[in-house]
Amino acid sequence: MVGVVVFGPASLLAESDSVPTAIMPEKHFAVLEKYCLDCHDAATEKGKVNLEDLSFDLGSLETAELWQKVLNSLNSGEMPPEDKKQVSAGEKTLFLDDLSHQLVTARKILSDSGGAITMRRLNRREYKNTIRDLLGVDVDVADLPDDAGSGGFDTAGGSLFFSSDQLERYLTLGRKALDSAMVPIPIPSRPETRKVRIEAETEANKRITGILRGYHMGGYRKYMMWKASKGRPASDFGLVDDKEMAFRKLAWDRNAPQYIDYLTRAETKTGALLTIGGNLCPQVPAVIPDEMPAGNYKLRAHIGTMPKMPSERTFVEIGYRGDRIDGAMDLIDCRKVSGTVAKPQTIEFDLTLRPPKNPLKEDVGTETKKVVMLGDRVVVFRERQPNVRGSNVYRNNLAREQTGFGVEPALWIDWVEWEGPIYESKKEWPPKSHREIFFQGSDAELTDAYVRKIIERFAGRAFRGREASAAFIDKLMAQYSDQIARDVPAYEAIKAPLAVILASPAFLYLAEPAGEEKRRELTDLEMAVRLSYFLWSSPPDEELNRVAREGKLKHPAVLSEQTTRLLADPRSWEFVSGFTHQWLTMDRLDFFQYNYRLYPEFDDSIKRAARAEVYHTIDQILRENRSIGELLKSDTVVINDVLADFYDIPGVKGDTFRRVKVPKDHPRGGLLGTVAVLAMGSDGERSSPVERGSWVMRKLLNDPPPPAPANVPQLSRHAGKLFPARELLLAHMEEAQCAQCHRKIDPIGYGLENFNAAGQWRETEYTEIAAQNRVKKSKEHPIDASGTLPDGTKFVGFYELRDQIAKQEDAFARGFTEALIAYGLGRPFGFSDYDLAEEILAGAKTNENRMNQFVHALVKSKPFRMK
Amino acid sequence: MNPHALHSHSRRNFLRGGTTLLALPFLESLGFRRFASAAKASTAPPKRMVFVGMGFGVTRETWFPDTATTGADYELPEGLKPLQRHKKDITVIQNLSNQFSNEAHWGSTFWLTGANRYAEPGQSFHNSISADQVAAEALGKETRFTSIQLGSETAGTSGHGPGLSLAWNRQGKPVAGLNNPTLAFHKLFSDETMPLAQRQALLQQKRSVLDSVMENAKSFSRGLNRSDTDKLDEYFQSVREIETRLSKEEQWLGVSKVQPNDPVKEPGEGLAGSEEIKLMYDLMIAAMQVDATRVFTYRQPVTSLIKSLGGTISAHNMSHYQPGMRMEVSQKRDRKNSELLAHFIDKLKASKEPDGTSLYDHVSLSFGSNINSIHYLTNCPTLITGGGSGVKHGRHLVLENPKTPLCNLWLSLLQGAGMEMEAHGDSSGVLDELFVG
Repeated sequence: MVGVVVFGPASLLAESDSVPTAIMPEKHFAVLEKYCLDCHDAATEKGKVNLEDLSFDLGSLETAELWQKVLNSLNSGEMPPEDKKQVSAGEKTLFLDDLSHQLVTARKILSDSGGAITMRRLNRREYKNTIRDLLGVDVDVADLPDDAGSGGFDTAGGSLFFSSDQLERYLTLGRKALDSAMVPIPIPSRPETRKVRIEAETEANKRITGILRGYHMGGYRKYMMWKASKGRPASDFGLVDDKEMAFRKLAWDRNAPQYIDYLTRAETKTGALLTIGGNLCPQVPAVIPDEMPAGNYKLRAHIGTMPKMPSERTFVEIGYRGDRIDGAMDLIDCRKVSGTVAKPQTIEFDLTLRPPKNPLKEDVGTETKKVVMLGDRVVVFRERQPNVRGSNVYRNNLAREQTGFGVEPALWIDWVEWEGPIYESKKEWPPKSHREIFFQGSDAELTDAYVRKIIERFAGRAFRGREASAAFIDKLMAQYSDQIARDVPAYEAIKAPLAVILASPAFLYLAEPAGEEKRRELTDLEMAVRLSYFLWSSPPDEELNRVAREGKLKHPAVLSEQTTRLLADPRSWEFVSGFTHQWLTMDRLDFFQYNYRLYPEFDDSIKRAARAEVYHTIDQILRENRSIGELLKSDTVVINDVLADFYDIPGVKGDTFRRVKVPKDHPRGGLLGTVAVLAMGSDGERSSPVERGSWVMRKLLNDPPPPAPANVPQLSRHAGKLFPARELLLAHMEEAQCAQCHRKIDPIGYGLENFNAAGQWRETEYTEIAAQNRVKKSKEHPIDASGTLPDGTKFVGFYELRDQIAKQEDAFARGFTEALIAYGLGRPFGFSDYDLAEEILAGAKTNENRMNQFVHALVKSKPFRMK
Repeated sequence: MNPHALHSHSRRNFLRGGTTLLALPFLESLGFRRFASAAKASTAPPKRMVFVGMGFGVTRETWFPDTATTGADYELPEGLKPLQRHKKDITVIQNLSNQFSNEAHWGSTFWLTGANRYAEPGQSFHNSISADQVAAEALGKETRFTSIQLGSETAGTSGHGPGLSLAWNRQGKPVAGLNNPTLAFHKLFSDETMPLAQRQALLQQKRSVLDSVMENAKSFSRGLNRSDTDKLDEYFQSVREIETRLSKEEQWLGVSKVQPNDPVKEPGEGLAGSEEIKLMYDLMIAAMQVDATRVFTYRQPVTSLIKSLGGTISAHNMSHYQPGMRMEVSQKRDRKNSELLAHFIDKLKASKEPDGTSLYDHVSLSFGSNINSIHYLTNCPTLITGGGSGVKHGRHLVLENPKTPLCNLWLSLLQGAGMEMEAHGDSSGVLDELFVG
């Protein structure tokens, strides 16, 4: 593997005049030989640990890590195994004493060479934010690689790759962003803000009447005539065969009542009822035409609920119309409707509209034809529902048996409206992004000298204070001149060089040039960049730049002040969401589709709110100087109305997330009570004690079990039988290679068994065998939520488990610190970061483990300030 | 036939010599198209390679033939039944896998590369060149497109793993793909409406863009330490790659795209699932007919395929099948895949080359995934067909070593198609049993 070159730290060298070493005394080989080598010699290598060839010089990371393992297993009593000869207390003490001291020395030696930070490219999130910061434009980065996909944090420079396709994307995206940010010169008049209202019933009634009269009545009429004709072929009546005749009759019988019911309701004379399933009015669209410019828009709906609707049927979802096949949509927001048909309310949303997509031009590079992709400019309103069409068909079929027509409509929309583009001020024009490029004003003539200045200035901003070389600017000017020579107008010609800047290394990489020989302190400007990308995933703002330019950022008080300021700024949401998502591996929330029959409440709106709950919880802990201990146990939750409805916590109105007291004897409060964490521990059908248990060990107890090996047989011996999850997992204990880890993992999961796959509280576990929505057999099992933690502590159920975990705050803090270091420094947490972690932990502990203390301590630390 | 013989040496050498110096008017004056078709008539039809990745694995219970029946005397199991009419022209191989694979949701990332994700110290992800790109280096010189990567918009949720297509370049970086039939259609068959002079100017502009970013990269690289310089090298590599692409674009600038005799219609919007796959296969056939490229990869949709078959579960849910609905969906998907593949083979056989042979006779097609089934990564499902690599088809091969490197297969197919090479990925040798027996 890696050979690590060890450079002695200068100070140590000066003192001892020789390279420091960490050597484990030879005499301890006797202990290894006596107790370890039976299993861990070169021939057996149990657990892939070979101690026979282990060097007694701890000077390399590899050797030190292996010795650390020896230390840990002896300390924890994990080794030697219970059934093997145990190390005598005397031998153990001497051995551990030497080992722990030598390891401390080894750490110090290694800390100066380990942990180098590889130069990093802007990751996808940072690229998007940086373009927004520069040009005020939101680019669609879906085509760039998702840097979080390959393990670790998306800030790890060593893992952020670069390819030629990507370079071409940057060129296209940069050009697109410039197109949106700049307007022609002379400045045309400002695009007018338009407001278009669509009466919901106009389109819906026309279409529904059309289908009823055409398809349904037409089919029925044909059927009746065919029947009356007694024997004439179906084709005489325009249909293929008897089968189609029968089908049209069936379609009439099933669907016509719903159409007739819809059209005869008084509410559909003045608005549209949102239906579930069927081809009636599942959604009301607002279509913003392609000719409307990109920018900020408002969308509104005048909406109310039908009388006597239960709470869960009073939410409206807004999203981009998506997939044609299953009617799934790309959710933007979900809101509770408090108005009624008699007294409707206006619900309003902000929407940032992008330029229409032309993938043919962007991906293929041909100009032959414009292909507009659907979706981006069609926003629909619908009743909240699982994002799968099958779920609606299922629900409508079930309801038909009760009502005779289908699901009773719950929401009514009078009209929908879009308005935009919306400008910040009445006069704002040309846009700020344009003014920042043409900085001498709209009237200034675009002389070559001015253009050169524009390019230099833009490069300076894009390169985060690093000056562009004259040779580079010369080349950019040549490109500009080339465009001019081709009769491209100057304001347009200038985009070519500017787009090049946005694809140049000085823009795309966060550079901290450094020689080989020794590590150096960052300059103030570099420090500003590191800090703002850590806490904002964005470039420094004017103030941070100013402080850096004045050379003050190295001053501890100023650094601390700036850190506080950055954390308080709304942009720190980028850190909160970006870090949390990766730290808590929340991508798992999208791994599975949740069974809509078993968990109809678990839809995209809940998923969205569930994710936001975790982010907001951490955001508030950070902002309100709270302790990270609240993530383990808390008597408050940070939720909105959607979650309050799901958690059954009363008194929460509106979609803003706020801190709410948890009712007595209610299981929420702390990460273990969040629907996000619980639902991640399932496969969309059943809860998974294994997933939950290992998540708790990884994220809360900082005792990560080894990664699950591939090729482990699925536990399907019991397939086709109705066992509770707990019983199924007993099979783990039958195999030593499973039991070894699962005896620690599974019991924690048992303690969470009172939550079903969707994170809802349950007293019994429901199991079933079903095919195509038909349940063949099912059974309820009482839940046994008792278990034992890896350290031997017993618990009887969820509440005790949570209390026990809450006691492990130190371990949790360590895990959090390691993740923070990895994210903040842009490289994996390593053995040589041990001292840094200790320093941060010690500091935070004296401050009640307040989350912002961890951040401050990392920023202040030497590694954060060193290249 | 000698599998190592590459066809049309003279023409290839001619082109290679002309790559940089040959100006377009000269090409045109030679009557490039007439010349090309003349060359085609006088030499053997070109070899082609196609790799189709299906993402999440198969239903193991009903896709793999019984291991007790090997050789020509075996039954196609339920999942492969639709391929019955091609049974003597396909080979199902068992016991292939990639030794380093440990990601249970990555059916394509390392499928054609065999790389070790952790091979680079300090990096959490590493990959190496994929078999198709190796083929493209040899087979792609004479065609307008060195290779074509097809994909799908739902690939992200279909168990393929990281990557932009099945293809990874020499540096182990992902190569982008065309993610819907409309894009593929226009890329392959639509001519630019822009006048030639303007397009030449555009190429020139692209070159000067590269020239400018290189200037920045050079001054930027000053003062960087070793590891940062290594990182920046990826940028330099990218620029060089684009330069190569531009040179090729220049060669073909004045040459119209050839339309197939049986023209393909422009795909309608919103095609997805099985329709989309069928169309992509048809587009490949058409592209082969006009020799637009000789190397294809296709990273298939799974999520939308399931939807188009009436399933309502996600691809990942399906992959975790147990007896019941999930397994039914999984089996339905297997059968549909085989049906679509059978249709593709029909067309390959029906499409004739000038010498009377068919496209089928000269193509080397591989279908499979790095994932066996559920989360199993050994015995990767593998089906090969076509005469391009000289494989003796019509057999079920159960390799003796239960962990035979998949790269041994890629090496065998590449060698079989005429590429002289010693190794690919972690290959330990060729699969002799493919060619004898």
